[in-house]
Amino acid sequence: MPKTAYYIPIGPIHPALKEPIRVEAEVEGEKIVRVDVKRGFAHRGIEYMGMKRNAIQTLYLSERICGICSISHPYAFVVTAEKALGIEAPPRAQYIRPIIAELERIHSHILWLGVIAHEMGFDSLLFWTWKGREKVLDLLELLTGNRINYSVYMIGGVRRDLKESHIKAIKDAITYYWKFTEQMKEIILSDPVYKARTRGVAQLSKEMALKLNVVGPVARAAGIRMDIRQDMPYDAYADIDVRAVVPQDIVGEAKGDAYDITMVRIYEIEQSLDIIEYCVDNLPEGKILAIPNYPALLAKIRRTKGEAIGAHEAPRGEVVHYLKFDGRDGPSVWKVIAPSYNNINSWAPLLLGAEVADIPIVVAYIDPCMCCNDRVALLKTPEGKVLGYEYIHKKAVEKTKKIEKEVRG
Amino acid sequence: MNIEEVIEKLKKSLGDALLNYEIREYEMGIRRKRKLYEVWAEIDRSAFRKAVETIFSLDYPHLHLISGEDNGGDSIKMIYSFGVFYSNPWGEISITLKFDLPKDSLILPTITDLMPGAETNEREIREMLGIEFEGLKNKRHLFLPDDWPEGKYPWRRDEYGVEDMIKHTHKSVREIRKKGEGNA
Repeated sequence: MPKTAYYIPIGPIHPALKEPIRVEAEVEGEKIVRVDVKRGFAHRGIEYMGMKRNAIQTLYLSERICGICSISHPYAFVVTAEKALGIEAPPRAQYIRPIIAELERIHSHILWLGVIAHEMGFDSLLFWTWKGREKVLDLLELLTGNRINYSVYMIGGVRRDLKESHIKAIKDAITYYWKFTEQMKEIILSDPVYKARTRGVAQLSKEMALKLNVVGPVARAAGIRMDIRQDMPYDAYADIDVRAVVPQDIVGEAKGDAYDITMVRIYEIEQSLDIIEYCVDNLPEGKILAIPNYPALLAKIRRTKGEAIGAHEAPRGEVVHYLKFDGRDGPSVWKVIAPSYNNINSWAPLLLGAEVADIPIVVAYIDPCMCCNDRVALLKTPEGKVLGYEYIHKKAVEKTKKIEKEVRG
Repeated sequence: MNIEEVIEKLKKSLGDALLNYEIREYEMGIRRKRKLYEVWAEIDRSAFRKAVETIFSLDYPHLHLISGEDNGGDSIKMIYSFGVFYSNPWGEISITLKFDLPKDSLILPTITDLMPGAETNEREIREMLGIEFEGLKNKRHLFLPDDWPEGKYPWRRDEYGVEDMIKHTHKSVREIRKKGEGNA
C-alpha cells in the first residue's frame, strides 16, 4: 500500500499557540517530511510609529513590543539612546536597572518552564511553576507599580528609586527563589519522565546554531558561550563579570536539545539571583536621573545628532536596537531585532524528520514571542478607547499604595 | 585580534573602497572602568560582498541587524551590523558597514550562502524597502500579507511608500488630537 502524506496546518489561531503564527507540516505516518512557517499575523509597524513620536514616547512604545518581558526592549532602547546621545546614567540608576531586568528574567524563565511542561502535558508542573512565579511578579509590582509594562526606565537613568522596604522585599524574594530553584532542579531536571521527553528532542548542533544566527538560551544550550552581558557589558553588568551559562560547564557536554535548554534556564535563574544580590549589596548612593527635567532632555536630543546600535540580553536572547537622531526630538530611524526574530529560524530544520508528537516541544523550546517578532502595540479598552497616560498613571499609583500598605503590614 | 588589526584587515582587503571609518570607544563600568570598541565603516557599494567576506574570514560573525534608511532622496542608506569575537568576556567587536544604494539599482548580493540565518533579515528588507537580493532563494513575504500590492514598500518615504494606505500610524498623536479624529 503506498504511503500517503497528510497535511497538518497549525495556527495562526490554535489553543497551543498563545499568539498567532502558522506552522504547516506535511507528515508521512508519524514523520514530518515538509514544513513551512509563516509569520507576520500581528505586524503593526511599531518602528514606523516610533519615528513619529518623541524619544520619551518612543521609549514607552518600545515597552509595548513584548507582552511578557516588557523591560527588554526599553533596556535596549535606553542603552542605544544613551550611546547615540552621549548621556551617562548615574551609578545608582546603573545598578537599579539590572535588578529590574534580572527579576524579569526570573519571571520569564519560570513562565517558560511552565509553558514547556504544559506543552508536554505535565499540567501540575505548570501550576506549580506559575505559582512560584507570582512572588516575583508581586515584587516587580511593588518596585515599579505594574505587573507588566513597568515604565521605570528613562534615557539617562530610572524613574523610581529603591527604598529600604523595597530592598528588604528583594532580599526576601532572593531567599525564596534560591530554595525554589533547588526544588526545580529536583523536580524537573531529575525527573526521568521529563528527561525522556526532552532528551534528544529539538536538538540543535553548535554549527547549525551559528549558521541559523540563533541567540540567547537556544544558542547557549547548543554550546555557544554567547551573552551580551558577558561580550559587551553595560551598566552594573560591567562590574560583575557575568559568564554565559552553557551546558558543558554544568554536565560536561552540550547536546543542544530541549533538556539542555531547560537546564540553561534553571541555572540562569541562579545567576540572576547572584546579580541581584550583588547589585542590592553594592547599590551606590546618589541621584537616579542624569537629566531629570524631561523638556531639557528633549532639548538635548534635538541638539544632538548621532546614531548607535545597542543591545540587551533579554531572557529569550539579545534584543538589538538601532537608533538615529538628527535634529528632531524623536528618532529618525529606529530598527528593532527581537530574539524570536532569529530563533524562529530554527523551527523548520528541527521539525524536518521529527515526529508529530514533538511539534509542541519544538515550537515551545525557543520560547517564541510573536509580539516581539511582529512588534505589536496599542492598548484599547473593550469600547475601543485608547487608555490614556493619565488613567494608567492614576491606576498605577493607587495599586502601588495598596501593595506598600500590605508590605508594611 | 584587536581593533587595530581588524581595521588593518579591512583596509588591506577593501583598499580605496573603504571610504572612511571610525573607531568608537565606550567606557563601561562603575567600579572598574573598561572599554568596548565598535567599528563604523563607510564603504563603496561595489565592495559590499568583499567586506562581508573579510568579516567572515576574521571569525564566524553574529549578524546583529540589517537595516536601511530612505530619507526621500535618490538613494537608500544600508546598514549591516555584525559582531565578531563574541563568546569572549569584553571581547566582542561590533562592525557596522554603511553604504548608499542608488534607487535606480536597488540590487545587493545575498549573504544567505554564508549565513543561512540572514534570510529573515533579507526578506524583511526586501519587502519593506524594495531591495532585490541576488541569490536569495525564498522571496516570499515575511511580515506583509501575500496580497500586498506590488511596488509599495512601508519604509520608503518617496512615491513607493504607503502614505495613502494607512489611516493613522503615520500621524503624530498631537496631529490626530488637533484634528479631532479620535484616538489612533
